[in-house]
Amino acid sequence: MFHIRKIKLEFKNQIYLVMFSLLMFLGLVTFFIVSSIMQDTMIEENKNRAVSMGVNLSARLIEPILTMDYFSMKKLVDETVLLSNDIYYTFVLDNDSNPIIHTFHNGFPAQLIHVNKVNEARTFSQQYLDTGKYRVYDYALPIFVDTNRLGTLRLGLLTTRVEKITRRIMLTALFSTVFSILIAALAGFLLFRPMTRNIKKLHEASEQAMRGDLNIHSAPVLQKNCWDIMNCSQKECPAYHNASQRCWYTAGTLCKTCAAGDYAKKILSCQQCKVYKACAGNEIQSLAESFDYMILSLKNHLAELNLTKEDVSKQKALLQTILDGLPDFVSLQNQKAEYISVNQAFCTMVGKTQHDILDKTARDLFDFPHGSTYLKEDIKVLETGKPLVMETTGMDTSGKKWIHVVKSPILKKNGAVSGLVSSGRDISDNKIIQEQLCQAQKMESVGQLAAGVAHEINTPLGIILGYAQILQEDVKPGSQVLEDLQLIEKHSKICSRIVADLLRFSRRIQSTITQFDIHHAIDDVLNMVEHTFTLDHVEIEKYFGTDLPSVKGDEEKIKQVFINLLNNAFDAIGKNGRVSIRTFFDSKNHSLVITIADTGSGILVKHLNKLFDPFFTTKGVGKGTGLGLSVTFGIIEEHGGTIQVDSRPAESKSIESRQASDKAPWPYGDYNTVFIITLPVSKNNKLEKY
Amino acid sequence: MNMHQKIKSFFNWQIILTLIVGLCLFSNQACSRDDRPVKIDLNEKMHIKPKLEQDVITYAYLPQYSHTTSYKRHHQIIKYLRTETGLNIKQIFPDTFDQHVTMVKNGKVDISFSNPFIYIQIADQFNAKAFARIVTIQDQENFRGQVICRADNKKIKTLKDCRDKTWIAVDRGSAGGYLFPLGLFYSHGIFQSDFKEIVFAPGPGAKQEKVVFAVHAGKYDIGTIREGTLNVVASRINTSDIRVISSTPLYPGWVYATRQNLDAKVIQKIKTALLALDFNKKGDRSILEAANFIKVIPASDPDFDPIRELASDLKVSK
Repeated sequence: MFHIRKIKLEFKNQIYLVMFSLLMFLGLVTFFIVSSIMQDTMIEENKNRAVSMGVNLSARLIEPILTMDYFSMKKLVDETVLLSNDIYYTFVLDNDSNPIIHTFHNGFPAQLIHVNKVNEARTFSQQYLDTGKYRVYDYALPIFVDTNRLGTLRLGLLTTRVEKITRRIMLTALFSTVFSILIAALAGFLLFRPMTRNIKKLHEASEQAMRGDLNIHSAPVLQKNCWDIMNCSQKECPAYHNASQRCWYTAGTLCKTCAAGDYAKKILSCQQCKVYKACAGNEIQSLAESFDYMILSLKNHLAELNLTKEDVSKQKALLQTILDGLPDFVSLQNQKAEYISVNQAFCTMVGKTQHDILDKTARDLFDFPHGSTYLKEDIKVLETGKPLVMETTGMDTSGKKWIHVVKSPILKKNGAVSGLVSSGRDISDNKIIQEQLCQAQKMESVGQLAAGVAHEINTPLGIILGYAQILQEDVKPGSQVLEDLQLIEKHSKICSRIVADLLRFSRRIQSTITQFDIHHAIDDVLNMVEHTFTLDHVEIEKYFGTDLPSVKGDEEKIKQVFINLLNNAFDAIGKNGRVSIRTFFDSKNHSLVITIADTGSGILVKHLNKLFDPFFTTKGVGKGTGLGLSVTFGIIEEHGGTIQVDSRPAESKSIESRQASDKAPWPYGDYNTVFIITLPVSKNNKLEKY
Repeated sequence: MNMHQKIKSFFNWQIILTLIVGLCLFSNQACSRDDRPVKIDLNEKMHIKPKLEQDVITYAYLPQYSHTTSYKRHHQIIKYLRTETGLNIKQIFPDTFDQHVTMVKNGKVDISFSNPFIYIQIADQFNAKAFARIVTIQDQENFRGQVICRADNKKIKTLKDCRDKTWIAVDRGSAGGYLFPLGLFYSHGIFQSDFKEIVFAPGPGAKQEKVVFAVHAGKYDIGTIREGTLNVVASRINTSDIRVISSTPLYPGWVYATRQNLDAKVIQKIKTALLALDFNKKGDRSILEAANFIKVIPASDPDFDPIRELASDLKVSK
């Protein structure tokens, strides 16, 4: 078996091959059909011609036959033969088939008589003869007068004429066919060439587009463009001198006849425009133009898409940055409660990377039983569509944590739940503050209670103290009664001091606002305590600043502050120590700064936070009420100032910088505790409000 | 296989080649029609020998019409006579009246069917003898001539109007077509010299018809024909275009005569057969209708004396 390899042809060549083959096919069909019809027509015409000649000759032969005019008969048959070269012979038979007259020389061919017979019912009979030398169409026609047959006329026509004409017809038809095929092929070539060229160009353009290069111009360049046809000079028009794109594909053209909008909106009006009528081509040109337009649109859309993509990426990164920057953890879960997006806080909380978290549920991420609990909560929110808000506890690397969790369902337009957004916030600090607030409220209540009690017992206490002192005058010195009365007086004074402290704590003492010198106030206090300090070898060092502004406030209360701090310092030192008092003006903050430092034992770190709390004391029973620093804090706060403490028994931190590193060098030499007081010196002293 | 591949496979070159080859075979088949010639040998020759027939009785009809018409009219009678008499009777066709007379004179015509004027010629000059004459379709034993002109010829209304006109006649020897009308003109004082021109229809044959056609064509003002000729040409022209100006008196009709010395038995057989023709007999009727008469009656030479008188008046040589 032969296997003929198929040749892969280009579309152009396929068109040409098919076109040429069809032309050949049709041409040959036409040639053979036409030549066949023409041959048949020729033979028919030849037959009709012979019959016509025969009928004519028969009519002319009647009278010669009747008169047996051999001369006339001979003349007629000879003249007939001479009419045309293809008339081979003519002869007449009588009714007995005897030749009457003929045109043969040298005798009559006997075989001719009976090869073609015609009866009375027919007008003629045709017989195709082969004489060996020639081929002859023999025609037999009966000669009638009315219904009486006189004889038979025989006429022999050579096929040479028919063959010659047939050959000529065939040749003419062949040449005509070939010529027609060539003309049609040429016309087809000229017709298809631009079409196939455009298709090839379109194909190349599509491949170029598939390779990603969208700078495509597959439509043919026009001879005349819209600006030529419309005599336009509007250079600002987007179609002006834009030969690569047809104006009806260009949005925003400035022609008065153009409808506004893009192709879909303006094409109907454009189709009425003379530019469209002049420039619109065939379907392939339109296809190329549409392709260019689509590629241009695609290019624009891709550019927009890239911009959008960049924007989305930026937004996504920004959002992720925001989410990651949030201390709260945020997560997004799908309908299966699987995490599809989480922020960094969430990752930190669960101690996994985002990659490890995604597509997992809470049960996969958290320990038992928390994971199962969280998952149940997630599923409940997804099923009910109701948000869940709660506070819960959890443990992390830094210990127990309070977390405020909000789980909100994501609802579609039809109300179905498509997912879940969860956020959680570490509210441990808030919880501490809340506890402190509760404690403060409690202490305030206690203070109010104490103030009320102090107020109520202050008067009877004064009476007890007064009568105890009066009674001492009436008893003998050294008596037991006197000792008892002195004991009553002593404890009454302790009670009185406690009551006074309670009253100061509860701020029930009226303030007397004056402008006073801070150094004078300090000196007054030092005069009172100096003797006591000296007894226990506690040295007081003063480092007063010069030209300090006066302070506006309650001098007595400020003195009470100094008394409290110096007493605490004295108590902390015990014996053999130093107390330093330093003042200076902080011009930056426009305030006076007073520091009181001692070389005492210092304050433990765990006590620093509670140092200013009421009733907190490290002193023994009966030595302190725990209200001194509380009252001090309250007085300084009343004056709009601040009070800080630094201490270093083993590690020292300021109250306001407890979270800061304490590895900085201790700046106060051998002093272990330092109280730093600032008092504003501005005219708008807070005390004015009282 | 997608559509593109289908199209490709459909138009692949093998199929196209097959189509073309098939077409060629078809066309070859179409070209080679079943037209097989019969082979003959023209070298086998034969010589034509004239058929010589013995005892032929020749029958001639005076060629007043074409030979074909003469044949059509009389070949059935001849066929009838051959059957009835057993004689080998054949119709011959003289080309002219003169030839007819000459052939009678020379004995080449045994039975002459002629007009009475020719008869008196062959009878008086060559001893021909009348033995029968016909009765026309109009049931007339005699016949006459007619003077005709175009129906739209307003200048000719009577015979007198024929003076100075052109006249076409059938033949100098034609009874109905020349001599009878000439006698008619004489009787009206119009002689040959009174006509602008007298011509005779060109021969041979169909001379009566040619007169009618010539007048109809307007080539001549008047024409003279034997009565009944218009019926003969009625199928070829509209006879209403022809007007009969006048008709001649009746004269004895056409006559059967024999040449001198023809066997009397032959004459008798023929005469008997002719007289036996009966228009009412189916077989005879078609014969008589073709011959344009209804019966044949006995005749003798004195029956044609009026003709002789007319010829004398007209000074026509016998």
